[in-house]
Amino acid sequence: MKLLELKSVTKKFGPLVAVDSASMFIGENEIVGLIGPNGSGKSTLLHAICGRTFATEGIIYLQGIDVTHKPPQIRAKAGMAIKFQLARIYLEKTVRENLLISLQAKDSIWRQLRSASLEAFEAKIAALAEEFQLEEYLTEPAKSLSHGQQQWLEIAMAMAVDPILLLLDEPTAGMSPKERADTSLLIKKASKKCGVLIVEHDLDFIKELCDRISVLHHGKIVASGTPKEIENDPRVKEVYLTRV
Amino acid sequence: MCWGQTGIFTFGQAALFGIGGYVVGIVTTKSTLTDIGALLLVAVFAGALVGLLLGIFLFSGKRVGELYVALVTLAISYICERLANSWTLLGSGNGIPGISYPTIFGKKIDSSVGLFFLAFAVFAVALILCIIIVNSQFGLTMNAVRDDEERAEFFGYRRSVIQIAVFVFSAALAASGGALFAVSEGFVSPSMSGLALSTTTVLWVVLGGRGTFYGPLIALTVLQVVNIQMQNALPSLWPILVGLMLLLTMIFLPKGLTSLPSKIRESRRKRVQV
Repeated sequence: MKLLELKSVTKKFGPLVAVDSASMFIGENEIVGLIGPNGSGKSTLLHAICGRTFATEGIIYLQGIDVTHKPPQIRAKAGMAIKFQLARIYLEKTVRENLLISLQAKDSIWRQLRSASLEAFEAKIAALAEEFQLEEYLTEPAKSLSHGQQQWLEIAMAMAVDPILLLLDEPTAGMSPKERADTSLLIKKASKKCGVLIVEHDLDFIKELCDRISVLHHGKIVASGTPKEIENDPRVKEVYLTRV
Repeated sequence: MCWGQTGIFTFGQAALFGIGGYVVGIVTTKSTLTDIGALLLVAVFAGALVGLLLGIFLFSGKRVGELYVALVTLAISYICERLANSWTLLGSGNGIPGISYPTIFGKKIDSSVGLFFLAFAVFAVALILCIIIVNSQFGLTMNAVRDDEERAEFFGYRRSVIQIAVFVFSAALAASGGALFAVSEGFVSPSMSGLALSTTTVLWVVLGGRGTFYGPLIALTVLQVVNIQMQNALPSLWPILVGLMLLLTMIFLPKGLTSLPSKIRESRRKRVQV
């Protein structure tokens, strides 16, 4: 079953066509990579998918439901979660509070006022902290974490709500090789629970991780296929690989 | 609750304070109702209703900046003051005098001590309510919206509903304050919903410390005590000194006077380390 399907998605900013008729899909438990040179439209397409901006033309389906013009909170409720390029966590709050913020997002105000879910969430917070190697830092403010740990915390926050689709915008940016390897394992583990879309610059990282890759150039998807097919595609070599 | 916890920078609290006061003024002068419970209920309902309408107008669409909310609420305060000044039902410039003393269980509260304890009891209930809310899971939600409202939306929070709920709650609190002012002073006037009080409430929060309960209380007490002395001693210079104090606080103590002890501790620690 297709978790996410894009049909001829176009995003224009005035006369500028940032994304031109992009079509792709993500299946269950699949890891799909989206690569392309700087300015190719990757981030714009990701923003159209997550609801930060709306597509000018085309349709975006999430589990068969048209979410093209739905706001982010509706997409989140439908099972979409995102990790931004620069970790957008609550720096002044503790790691535990950050995870709780994510977990309680779908609770009603009345439930939150009564702190009705707190007990149930504590076990989940402990499990997530262990999975993402953050258990030592639960009571520490998020700003005291290293860059890599902040990225993991944001992935943990995205995974906390059991999403059906996880969007990752350059999840390994600025990480050490060890942190990148650990992140790769975390993403593989996450893909057992949901579909994953990764926007990344690091080709080596994305090649070993993804089931399929789509290549974006000047807003158009110029190639899609398995990492091997992408590597051998002459168009990709021409427009992307030779530039790296 | 609004600014410190949820990041809603509002100048509209005085307008809602005025609405509470005027509602009580109209009700007590046009009817025989004097029971403080009923009066507070009517004022809170009126304040919450206006807060709800204003909240829907401000927050139900796309995300708006802090400055937009500040300017719109400032304009609302100004409109309320002008309206009170010109509408005969509201007594025009003279306001509504002759508001009778409140009663509780049929007993009139007409001493200043009784009125103080009445105000203190309502204040205590309001404070306890605020503390409960801030320490509940919803407190974290308010902070999530304050610190990064777009991020909160991506987690699935209904940002507009949260902002409207907090705005309505603050409006109800402000209106209850206005109701207490009306019954204890015995009159309401246009200045109680105007720009001067709007900016003064923000001043208390800035001076005391955003996001704390006792900070604005300390600032209010200090300012009120000093205000009385200074207005007599330096009538023309005092407002300039208040402005200067505000400026210095914002530059050197952005978290307000309540952050002063921790700032001193930190600088002492640094000196010891050196």
